Amino acid sequence: MEAYFLSLLILVTIYWIFSLSLQVSLGFAGFLNFGHIAFIAIGAYASSLLSKVGVPFGLSILLGATISMMFGYLVALPCRRLKGDYLALITLGFSLIVFVVALNWAGLTGGPAGLADIPSPQLFGISLASNSHFLVFSFFVSLCTYLIIKRLSATPFGTALQAARDDELGTQVLGISTFKLITVSFALSAFFAGLGGGLFAHYITFIDPSLFTLSQFIPILAIVILGGLTSLEGTLLATVVVVLLPEPLRFLSLSSSVIGPARELSYSLLLLILLVLQPRGFYGKIRLK
Amino acid sequence: MDIFLQIVINALIAGSLYGLVAASFSLIYSTNRFAHFAHGGVIISSGYFLFWLTNTLQLNLLLSAILTVVFAGLLGVCLNLFVYLPLRKRDASNSILLIASVVTLTIMQSVLTLLFGSSIKSFNYPGLHEPMGFLGAYMTPIQIVIVLSAIAMVTLLSIFLKKARLGKTLRAVAENPKLAETIGISTVSTYNWSFFIGSALGGVAAIFIALEQNLLPSMGIGLVIKGFAGAVIGGLGSVTGAVYGSLIIGAAENIGVWFFPSGYKDAITYVLLFVFLLVRPSGLFSKRNA
Repeated sequence: MEAYFLSLLILVTIYWIFSLSLQVSLGFAGFLNFGHIAFIAIGAYASSLLSKVGVPFGLSILLGATISMMFGYLVALPCRRLKGDYLALITLGFSLIVFVVALNWAGLTGGPAGLADIPSPQLFGISLASNSHFLVFSFFVSLCTYLIIKRLSATPFGTALQAARDDELGTQVLGISTFKLITVSFALSAFFAGLGGGLFAHYITFIDPSLFTLSQFIPILAIVILGGLTSLEGTLLATVVVVLLPEPLRFLSLSSSVIGPARELSYSLLLLILLVLQPRGFYGKIRLK
Repeated sequence: MDIFLQIVINALIAGSLYGLVAASFSLIYSTNRFAHFAHGGVIISSGYFLFWLTNTLQLNLLLSAILTVVFAGLLGVCLNLFVYLPLRKRDASNSILLIASVVTLTIMQSVLTLLFGSSIKSFNYPGLHEPMGFLGAYMTPIQIVIVLSAIAMVTLLSIFLKKARLGKTLRAVAENPKLAETIGISTVSTYNWSFFIGSALGGVAAIFIALEQNLLPSMGIGLVIKGFAGAVIGGLGSVTGAVYGSLIIGAAENIGVWFFPSGYKDAITYVLLFVFLLVRPSGLFSKRNA
């Protein structure tokens, strides 16, 4: 029972990182980012591969996040001339590219069989293999992510970014390059997504492409909408709610082929009901255009 | 030479399939002015509906196909009535409608997985897949039907949009919904009609996709992205542009499989889309800005 609670808490910290990073692109920048799961995947695969060739854990997840960040910058490039629907299309397309590559480049990613035996994490000679140690570390990382994003949102960069979201032309008139703001924020969002992905991969020690599909993105999106766009504290509350939501399904003796889609269905329904009833979530202040 | 002809034919077949998806998506998009990603879910659900009719109920294929088209149209209208209309009433922005459409797609995907399982469903009509020689290249009967129907459907749709009263109404609402209301056009019923016609056309695509490529619950998102991509490459808002864009995608995929393993086929489309949006976001045949 204790192990069960520990694993839930670890999932909460990891999903908090996933959703905090989505807040940067979807909330603060107002960029319809449906490719978030792809950046998580890049961080997960890159850090796992690095760990498997002997790179120390701390360095491998940071490098994984950096690689993810570079892809984030690349994906944001067409946003100079594009708006709303097109951004959703590009980011969705990108997440499918990453999925196809993960599935087909078997030499690198293990293909549909995935990557197994990802080394369990070690930091400064201390093993994080036990769940309680891992929880301390993942909590630390999620707290750092929260504090950095919180701090950034109050800097001139963060204010300008939100100004650009609410009034792009007005911000440009002030001589600020909204293009730069959006690409940088998108790269940042991808960085933290990649960081969370690396942490996730080292926690479950086995990854395959099915972990990084659109269905796996829905709970993260649900957290951000439920918590309220740009509300980082609301995001924590929402993470707890969303991670716990499908847990009762575990206790109904259902077969695993039913539990998977039933979980996905519960998240999608939650999100749809939220959009109809309370699109601004717990503490959301802003409105997406 | 034969290989070249075969590539052209394969590109034409793929382009016809994607063209039906793109034209139907584009019709709904231009009237409703938001990206209805759940269209992919409507198509794939209709494919499964056809599977249920022909395999479980053992109905004959032609009757099942007709019922599937009606089912698709009604499913589209239901989505509009029970998902998008309540959101519009609450003055939801385009981004919220778009997120709702993606979520609706994943809901349909989960329901299909619960109902039919996650394994591939295929149809057993050997006669449809008997290759026939054609100037040194090969085509199956179903592929010939696909190409001819796609040409017929798109031509009919263009004529309908230009000449028929309802077609003109659709275009009027697409052009300026407020102005259309002032001259007595009900936008709500026009939205419903566009969903019915667009989704029914998607149902035609569903039949061909089911018979030609088999079915998986997770296929919807890839299909709608290809349809959207075809519409974007051709220039959004024009049905014929959407078909040209889809032919380009069909060609790119079939040329691409000569250089890359076939598993990367889908990735080729998305990379092409990315390059297009970077270089020419307004599409090939459109003067409108993105």
